[in-house]
Amino acid sequence: MHRGIEQFTRSEVWVCDCFDAMNCNSNFGGTKGLLMLSCMLCLFVVNAGAQSASGQLSITMNVQSSITLIFQNNPSVGTTGFCPLTNSGTNNVGLDFGTAAFPGSFHTLACVNYTHLTSATYEVSSAFDVVVTKANSSSPNYRLAAQISTPPPANVAWLLNNVTLTTAGFTTLDTADNYATPITKTLQVQVKNTVAAQPLLETITFLATAN
Amino acid sequence: MLKKYISIMRGAALAALTLCGASLPAQTTASGVINGSLNNTNGIAIQFDSDPSGVTLGAAGTNAATANFGTVSAFGALAAGVTRPSVTAANFTVRTIFDVQVVSGGLTSTTYTLTANLAAAAPTGMSYKVDAITLTTASQTLQVNGAYNTDIAHNLDLVILTAAPGAGGPAVNTPITATINFTATAN
Repeated sequence: MHRGIEQFTRSEVWVCDCFDAMNCNSNFGGTKGLLMLSCMLCLFVVNAGAQSASGQLSITMNVQSSITLIFQNNPSVGTTGFCPLTNSGTNNVGLDFGTAAFPGSFHTLACVNYTHLTSATYEVSSAFDVVVTKANSSSPNYRLAAQISTPPPANVAWLLNNVTLTTAGFTTLDTADNYATPITKTLQVQVKNTVAAQPLLETITFLATAN
Repeated sequence: MLKKYISIMRGAALAALTLCGASLPAQTTASGVINGSLNNTNGIAIQFDSDPSGVTLGAAGTNAATANFGTVSAFGALAAGVTRPSVTAANFTVRTIFDVQVVSGGLTSTTYTLTANLAAAAPTGMSYKVDAITLTTASQTLQVNGAYNTDIAHNLDLVILTAAPGAGGPAVNTPITATINFTATAN
């Protein structure tokens, strides 16, 4: 449909019948050019109003205080009395004392500290570090306790820093240790020379409690 | 002459009967037209969808969803769909994944730009990131070439200071909320 400009109403011009404007054979000279210009302006206006959409994502959470405990190698690891932990830096590590016997102060690992406590008992020991870290807590320090998982054979004792561990409950080791500070603990196994040859295995659970 | 007259009269009578018979049936048909019209406009819409790897959003599929991280801590257990990608001495981060889908219609645009901003300043000890961009109350571009009509996953990270409450850290055992405004704009 081709119409001369004189046929457009005001609203028709506003919506820009551009197709017509480009193709009509208007007799109004420069009017066609003006119409095309206004169409271009209209297109510009349309493009300027880019389509957009908005949404909201509401987030909820609850922060809780927490502490964590890890075991790690002492800086002196590898020297006598400081055997390396397996899986160091976690809260589940291994500490192997190797093989030991009473006669001849026999022990297979150089890192183990071997001692004859009496004429009938020997002890192997090794030290490591405990680190407890806190987050979102105003607790000034923590308590540290430990217990063994199964009763040892007769005449065998497991100790930490000379405190004998039991299965009866957690034995307090410290009452006010500082957070984020390595606390060196020495694990000792005392064996009387009457104990039959056998593997001695124990799981020792440490418990840190915020004060 | 009389014969011719009679013949003419017969023909005229026959023609009259024929015409009469044609006009006897009543008018039983009618016709009309419907002038249908539709203004097919253009537009885009945004919605949030739960990601299989993230928390289940409240009001998923709408443009006003909620993400509940549950109880979070530096070292404790986390809710399903929440991970803890980092823990440092100064802060820890908990993360979930959510999807954004932008639907378009009537547009020649093939992609969109996604921006986001916090509706209000972040609570003490908290900062919010989407795709590693730390959000503020000012709008920031997250993506410049989002594809329409498909879920696009985004990481939502909450970075939480480990300091104690009152020492720069967030309040504990208290719900902490924030709202993120998202805007998708057709390219």
